[in-house]
Amino acid sequence: MQNYPTKANLILHFLSGSKRYFALSMLFAGLVSLLDMVNPKIISYTVDSVIGTKPSALPGSVEKLIDGIGGTSALRAHPIWIAAAVLSIGVLAALCRYVFRTMNTRGAETFVRKMRDDLFAHIMYLPYTWHSENSTGDIIQRCTSDVNTIKRFISEQLVQLFRTVIMIVLALIFMGRIHFRVMLGSALMIPVIVIYSLIFHVKIGTAFEKVDVEEGVLSSIVQENLTGVRVVRAFGRELYERGRFEKQNTYYTSFWIRLMTITSMYWSVADILTGLQILFIMLFGSVACIHGTLTVGGFIAMTSYNMMLIWPVRQLGRVISEMSKAGISIERLRYIMNSEVETDPKAAWEPPMNRDITFENVTYAYANASSPVLKDVSLTIPAGSTFGILGGTGSGKSTLMYLLDHLYDLGPDGGKITVGGVDIANIKKDYLRRNIGMVLQEPFLFSRTLSENIGITGHEKNMDEIRRAAKIASIDDAIESFTSGYDTFVGERGVTLSGGQKQRTAIAQMLISKPPIMIFDDSLSAVDAETDMKIRHAIQENTGSSTVILIAHRITTLMNADHIIVLDKGRIREQGTHEELLAKNGLYRRIYDLQTAGIDESEADI
Amino acid sequence: MNEEKQASLPLFGIPRLFPYLKPYRVKIICMILLGAISSGMDAAYPLFNRYTLNHFIGGQTLAGIGPFTCLYVSLLIFQGLINYVSSVECGKVEMSVDKDLRNDAFNHLQTLSFSYFNRNSVGYIHARVMSDTGLIGEVISWRMMNLVWNGAYVIGVLVVMLIIDVRLAALICLLVPVAVIFMMYFQRMLLDYNRKIREVNSKITGNYNEGITGAQTIKVLGVEEKMIGDFKQETTNMRRISIREAHYSALFISTMTMMSAMVLALVLWQGGRLTVEGLMQIGTLAVFMSYALEMLDPIQSIIETLSGFISIQANIERVVKLLAEESDVADSPEVVEKYGDSFHPKKENWEELIGDIEFRDVSFRYPDGDEYVLENFNLKVPHGTNVAIVGETGAGKSTLVNLVCRFFEPTKGQLLIDGRDARERSQLWLHSNIGYVLQSPHLFSGTVRENLRYGKPDATDDEIMKALRIVSAESVLARMEKGLDTDIGEGGSILSTGEKQLLSFARAILADPKILVLDEATSSIDTVTEKAIQNAIDVVIRGRTSFVIAHRLSTIVDADVILVVKGGKIISRGTHAELMRERGYYYELYTRQYEELLWGAAE
Repeated sequence: MQNYPTKANLILHFLSGSKRYFALSMLFAGLVSLLDMVNPKIISYTVDSVIGTKPSALPGSVEKLIDGIGGTSALRAHPIWIAAAVLSIGVLAALCRYVFRTMNTRGAETFVRKMRDDLFAHIMYLPYTWHSENSTGDIIQRCTSDVNTIKRFISEQLVQLFRTVIMIVLALIFMGRIHFRVMLGSALMIPVIVIYSLIFHVKIGTAFEKVDVEEGVLSSIVQENLTGVRVVRAFGRELYERGRFEKQNTYYTSFWIRLMTITSMYWSVADILTGLQILFIMLFGSVACIHGTLTVGGFIAMTSYNMMLIWPVRQLGRVISEMSKAGISIERLRYIMNSEVETDPKAAWEPPMNRDITFENVTYAYANASSPVLKDVSLTIPAGSTFGILGGTGSGKSTLMYLLDHLYDLGPDGGKITVGGVDIANIKKDYLRRNIGMVLQEPFLFSRTLSENIGITGHEKNMDEIRRAAKIASIDDAIESFTSGYDTFVGERGVTLSGGQKQRTAIAQMLISKPPIMIFDDSLSAVDAETDMKIRHAIQENTGSSTVILIAHRITTLMNADHIIVLDKGRIREQGTHEELLAKNGLYRRIYDLQTAGIDESEADI
Repeated sequence: MNEEKQASLPLFGIPRLFPYLKPYRVKIICMILLGAISSGMDAAYPLFNRYTLNHFIGGQTLAGIGPFTCLYVSLLIFQGLINYVSSVECGKVEMSVDKDLRNDAFNHLQTLSFSYFNRNSVGYIHARVMSDTGLIGEVISWRMMNLVWNGAYVIGVLVVMLIIDVRLAALICLLVPVAVIFMMYFQRMLLDYNRKIREVNSKITGNYNEGITGAQTIKVLGVEEKMIGDFKQETTNMRRISIREAHYSALFISTMTMMSAMVLALVLWQGGRLTVEGLMQIGTLAVFMSYALEMLDPIQSIIETLSGFISIQANIERVVKLLAEESDVADSPEVVEKYGDSFHPKKENWEELIGDIEFRDVSFRYPDGDEYVLENFNLKVPHGTNVAIVGETGAGKSTLVNLVCRFFEPTKGQLLIDGRDARERSQLWLHSNIGYVLQSPHLFSGTVRENLRYGKPDATDDEIMKALRIVSAESVLARMEKGLDTDIGEGGSILSTGEKQLLSFARAILADPKILVLDEATSSIDTVTEKAIQNAIDVVIRGRTSFVIAHRLSTIVDADVILVVKGGKIISRGTHAELMRERGYYYELYTRQYEELLWGAAE
């Protein structure tokens, strides 16, 4: 399914909400350009009809206005009226410019917010498999620098293109109305300069890409040197590293200098071309004046209009060459926006969750794996019971739980998982996950305060509940020992918690929402045996009627469970109660003996 | 990490950079002169227009139009040449200063001690070397040229105005200070807003990072909506601040153009009066009008450049600080005299290293720690001895190795190598005799051959192949199309961890070190590779003084001495049998691993 079949579809989608700002901004940009055309007119009128004595060629309405204040003679006596006219046009233009710029930013910011929000929300709802298949750095890159490229494309480059074209067209029209042939002298230079600057900017662009590549190489030499500082020192290879760096540094610099040379060439030649354009107007204008087809004021106006053209014309090439980059960025965002989000089937509902959980012939293989991680697993977890899963690294015990939480989809032949007889495929995912509390082995804490982390599932934070949950998880004391207590910030800008502290914070986070199904995925592994026991007792007292699933390495963690399975390489090897399993004298028994009694030295010498 | 204090160097810290400018001082002076000439010419161009109006049009004649055109065109071309030369030179100066700074910063980093690398994150140091240096180059070239260009233009315009009409010029000059004060006020405010915008922007990036790396947790907790809600708050905040910033910058720019209109109005009013009264020529009026429209831009540019200096002061400061950073572990002048430094070794004076190591009354605490991790520690390691160090992840197993490699020096006591204090010989001498295999093997981008030769640059292909065979890594090579010439990508990205591990063993063997340090891998690798690595370890440590930081205890049962580390300190030592008999922490660790083995064996 593709939501956005083309790039334009996606851009139009992101533009919803900001279009009116951009429309207003364009309108006012046009007004600014129009007002900019007025001053040369005033000047030429002043020179010709106020200072000089030529009859004015002004539109009738303006003529009436001048007659109102006493005609040209009054202006001659009081040139302050002309100043006032220039100033009021200046004020009007300033106002329009202000509106244009603020509207443009409003549009740009609304647009970029929409992009960011939509991307973030879309990413949040993408299935977990998508997250594991795509590299984090790449996605973040798309969400930041590609978003900025597109923002610049819409709010700077497109707008500038529009303004430039308007400016050029208006200036040429005004010039043409004064003296058509002189105007042509200027107009003929425009395509020359635009094509010239376009060619150069394409060249500059490719030179820049090369610089970028070499910079990347240099940058990774530094990166490798810094991360491998131990290897460099231990092998005594400082001199070699220095040589490697200096060589690339010189190489990289030479590309920059090449780029600089091209740019300098571009600027100098463009300056000369512009200078020639000015010269043409001066020469043609003089000739026209002498022939009497152009007034002095008209000449001054022509030169002013010509000056207005210079910058926009030179920008045009740059804007056009930069605009081509945006396409790639849009494509990169389209990839994200077109990835399919998790959805619930129409029939999905919210059945009661305090019911028996069953796995029926569950088989599951990861996308790139050669053999399945779970093979034909069938089991029943009675509602309200405590269920233990013992398994080694790679036995598939975590996958079993991710499947229950519907983080992964069971294939068509993958069997079935039900809660109270309802296939979890028909339970709303959000509802399912909120009712299954799972503490991961390596919990992820958000860069927020500890109380916000613990209370993250609640809509409003209730300090009493947070404290209670923290006490059960035996993290209360540790939190209180921080200077800011529950307001301590976690993560990059705050304290670093130990593995055990993280696990206990995650347990508190889960306990607070009192879900009917609780999963502890080896979540006490980083906690010492004594605290482990303390937490287990506290949890047992507080879980009430919840179904508890314990996954552990330590037998003491799950020996009191009502039922225990031993999972090995994706299959159930043994199951029963602790006593039954001991009596079986199998794997469980051997691990139990090892953990309780230890090994004697003879056996230990493997 | 390690947020440094706000910059406080005088004159934006630029004087500290003078040594870097010295080689280019002639070029810089030329650039400034040429830039000034070019801008002066820019200021003079409107005079051509004046001549046209006063002479050709006013006089109704085309006499002299030939020389006029010639002069104009030759000035134009002359200026183009000047601009080309000064821009190219400016770019060269910029890039050369950048290059010199980067080289110095990088080379200096090669001599800094490990405590510096522990204190500062890789990202932080990387930014100093790669981006701060670039900013500095820009300051002393383009920003300086900007001041020259715009300054010379403004001065040129003022001079021309004063010459052609004092009255009008004086009037315009009155407006300039008002404009300057206004611009300075706005510029500061805009800088402030830009800082705020950057802060919010980095928060948004942080949110993306969290949302994407924490995806699993967010799904499991079912808090997608909350995360989206919080994210929207940030983006809305960003929009709010940006719009406020736009309000001020739009106000600023609009007012600026309005000021231009004011100057123009002034010129028309007073100049118009003078012209009507016949006291001024039309051409002069036209010149003033074009100056009125073009004078404020360069003034604004000067102010922008100057206030820009404030924001890059911190960057300069950070680079200067890095260059001034002193190493905790440094060879004494006498040692350098005899053995040479890292970049100029005097190998002819190097003694052969045998490999007897002794810790004598060593006490040690990390420069940034306040607790001693070693106190009066004594240990003799005769050459050829195999020392194993065991303990949990993060227990501080690397400390001893750091001391042996002289990455750190004892706070008290001595480390003796072949009976002499380690400080009596150069670091490079010691390091050239050490082989080091990391648990997360660090390979460099480049070919397999380049990587293997890292410890022995002149190794032949035969030697390389032999080393690969010893660690049974020929199979790794066999899979590669180009053999030794295969490019392994950044950090060896085309290889699996196990393969990288094997190659780094081969690299260590090739260097044939007297002392070997092994930081064993914890990562789960398949059993076949694991067996290969185990064999490699056995081969590599034979006949060398070796320190093995062990995670798999089964690999070190034969070690001559095992040191058990917990909470950063050595809590017991002995052979495997002795430690097992003790029934202490080692026994506990060993038991736990045995159990893991049981899972593997239970097929």
